[in-house]
Amino acid sequence: MEPIIELKQVTKSYGAKTVLKGINLTIYPGQVIGYIGPNGAGKSTTVKILCGLISDYEGEVIVAGIDIKNDPLAVKRRIGYVPELAELYDVLTPAEFLGFMGELYGMPKVLAEDRMIKMLAAFGLEANADQRMDTFSKGMRQKVLIISGLLHNPDIIILDEPLSGLDANSVIIVKELLHKLAQDGKTIFYCSHMMDVVEKVSDRIVLINEGTVIADGSFEELQQQQGNQSLEKIFAHMTSKDSLSDAADQMMRAFEN
Amino acid sequence: MNIVNRFFLYLVLLPSKLYQKMGINTVQLASILSIKLMMDDRRPNTMHQANKRKEAKPISAATIGTMFVSAAMGSFFLISFFVGSEMLTRFTIYFSFFIFVLSSTLIADFTSVLIDIRDNIIILPKPVTDKTFVIARLLHILIHISKLVVPMTLPAFILLGIRNGLLALPPFLLMVIAATLFTIFLINALYLIILKITTPEKFKVIISYFQIFFAILFYGGYQIVPRLIGKAVLDNYSINTASYAFLIPPYWFAGGWEFLHSFQFSATLISCFLLSIFVPFASIYIVIKYFAPYFMISGSDGESMPAIVSEIKQPRPTNSFINTIANLLTDAGAEKMAFLHTWKMTARSRDFKLRVYPSFGYMLVYFFMIFLRDKRPALNSIKQNSNTEKVIFISIIYFSSLILITAINQLKDSDKYKAAWIYFTTPIEKPGKIISGALKSLLVKFYLPIIALTFFGAILVEGPRVIPNLFLGLCNQLLIIFLIGYASIRNLPFSQAPNLAKTSFMRGLLTLLIPGTIAFLHYSIYTFMPVVIILSILSCIASWLVMDALKNKGWEIITELKEGY
Repeated sequence: MEPIIELKQVTKSYGAKTVLKGINLTIYPGQVIGYIGPNGAGKSTTVKILCGLISDYEGEVIVAGIDIKNDPLAVKRRIGYVPELAELYDVLTPAEFLGFMGELYGMPKVLAEDRMIKMLAAFGLEANADQRMDTFSKGMRQKVLIISGLLHNPDIIILDEPLSGLDANSVIIVKELLHKLAQDGKTIFYCSHMMDVVEKVSDRIVLINEGTVIADGSFEELQQQQGNQSLEKIFAHMTSKDSLSDAADQMMRAFEN
Repeated sequence: MNIVNRFFLYLVLLPSKLYQKMGINTVQLASILSIKLMMDDRRPNTMHQANKRKEAKPISAATIGTMFVSAAMGSFFLISFFVGSEMLTRFTIYFSFFIFVLSSTLIADFTSVLIDIRDNIIILPKPVTDKTFVIARLLHILIHISKLVVPMTLPAFILLGIRNGLLALPPFLLMVIAATLFTIFLINALYLIILKITTPEKFKVIISYFQIFFAILFYGGYQIVPRLIGKAVLDNYSINTASYAFLIPPYWFAGGWEFLHSFQFSATLISCFLLSIFVPFASIYIVIKYFAPYFMISGSDGESMPAIVSEIKQPRPTNSFINTIANLLTDAGAEKMAFLHTWKMTARSRDFKLRVYPSFGYMLVYFFMIFLRDKRPALNSIKQNSNTEKVIFISIIYFSSLILITAINQLKDSDKYKAAWIYFTTPIEKPGKIISGALKSLLVKFYLPIIALTFFGAILVEGPRVIPNLFLGLCNQLLIIFLIGYASIRNLPFSQAPNLAKTSFMRGLLTLLIPGTIAFLHYSIYTFMPVVIILSILSCIASWLVMDALKNKGWEIITELKEGY
């Protein structure tokens, strides 16, 4: 099978600081990739490169057979991106915002509108479609963002911490949705700090630390390498220099005086 | 979308064929522009920035409001056509106003409206070419500027048309365009310079200081300059007599108009005309060639730098000076906490400074006006005429309480009002202590320097005999502040969403009654030394008692408690 995303020796630095130190990844269609790493490991930078937000990197990024540097537009058309912080134009209404997104993807107006209404309804937001988003809760904004990433039916979906602010029921909906999208042959690139979710939804986990991939495989494979423990434990074991329970002990000792 | 925006959108999209030839996706272009204009219409603009509303109805026609305000500004500029001895001078003054006001308006809009960093996350991951995006941004800037410039210059067009005939208008139009281009260059250059030496975050702070400074300068200029110079001098003033005229750009545009209107081939006018055309177009070329890439960045912007890159600073020792003062003036616990908290918040909150500092400036201007109205009383006459002396002395002393009252009125407001949960989750018995701590902090910060200056100045001019009155004034000030705190503060510091500034200004005026009355009483006993001394002591005791009562106020006084929650 042809890989859908290929990163070859991708390096990126900001001034003297090298954030990505030669990332190599080959991703096949229908995979759900859990992309994890501590803060500052280079997760967001990888995502931004994949989305075409950062172009001055070194190495090669090929999406669906297209080098992103040669034809960023063709790549962007196939990607749906759900950004991390709830970044949206909040003086607009969901209908206006999503209509705008549809136009940027060149979708026929009727199709975009029809799909948007169905998706809003699925999230229970149909009544809010014409309210300005500045009054929305974090969870409601996140739902609108998720819809904006799916609206044009992309082959590749990149989600950066998509569950933040969602209530428990919506989390179930999104997790279920990810499964169905993957079954449909879509590739999902899932960045998160919530290890229990990553453990459940992804069929392949990529762990990066300080700009390099330090583990890559299914959860079972990681368990075989690192001992039979939860992803949380494996993550801690591989990325933390000091023992974390020491830190907790230190906290407790602070009460002593 | 309102009719104005629709009209401008229609206008800029007229050359669609040309855009397509340039390889621009006109559907996307139209859709980005219309969404941007729609957002402009719902965003409070610079002129509203000082009075952000909270739950008020959503803003829906900000465009019309902005245009109305700039038309009003433009009518104001017409003053320039009624001074000076000939058109060249008048136009120089007109264009000075124009460039100045336009640039100070635009400079704030550039960060908030025209260069929206959210675009990087929202629009750039979409299949939009850089070219389409850049053109959309440029056209948006063009529309935005037109919405300011058209109403701003309309009054002058009308006046010129009536006074000088229709032939005066085309040259004026050309010069307005040239001056606008020149202003854009000025702003871009300023932006670039500032961004070179500082970060975007700090830049916003610098911009707000600029705004404060300009607001005061403007206000002061209008109020004071005519008083200082006098109308006759202004009427006969001619810019031509000034040798430095060529150094000021407004002169070029004035000369350019004069040249096109009269066709006098004098060396001065020709060179003005050439400068007025050449400089703006050259500068706009520079903007496009050198500055634009900095603002149109899509690939590698400093903004998207990961947070981790910034170096971890060594924790600095806490400011021990202010800690010492806090220990001296406040009780340990809630009061001291409130003192330090207020001290830091007033120093660091851009919001607070934007709201309070301009009013300080306006008050200074008023202050000077009081003196200038009476043909600048010389120090000698103060000494000779005891009544003037009394009036001036009393107004200086009590005048300073206005500044403090302004600060007190803004104390409750903060954009981060939700962080006020700290007051409610911690075991604070008497919120009165928080209020008194905050008041003391404001007293030290905004009043102590003024009172020190006043003491110094008064003793220098009047000698030590003025000390009892100074002391009474000081005690009364404290009394006033604590009375206001006791009687009218019903909110904890920084715990409310900013309200309309106007209402708090009105309330501020009402609160003036207290200092007004006390000032009048002080005035009437000014010369009776024993009374002054006895009253000083009484006032001192009263301040202490009121402060103590304030400290002991319980939770029942916090009436507008959880409005924002």
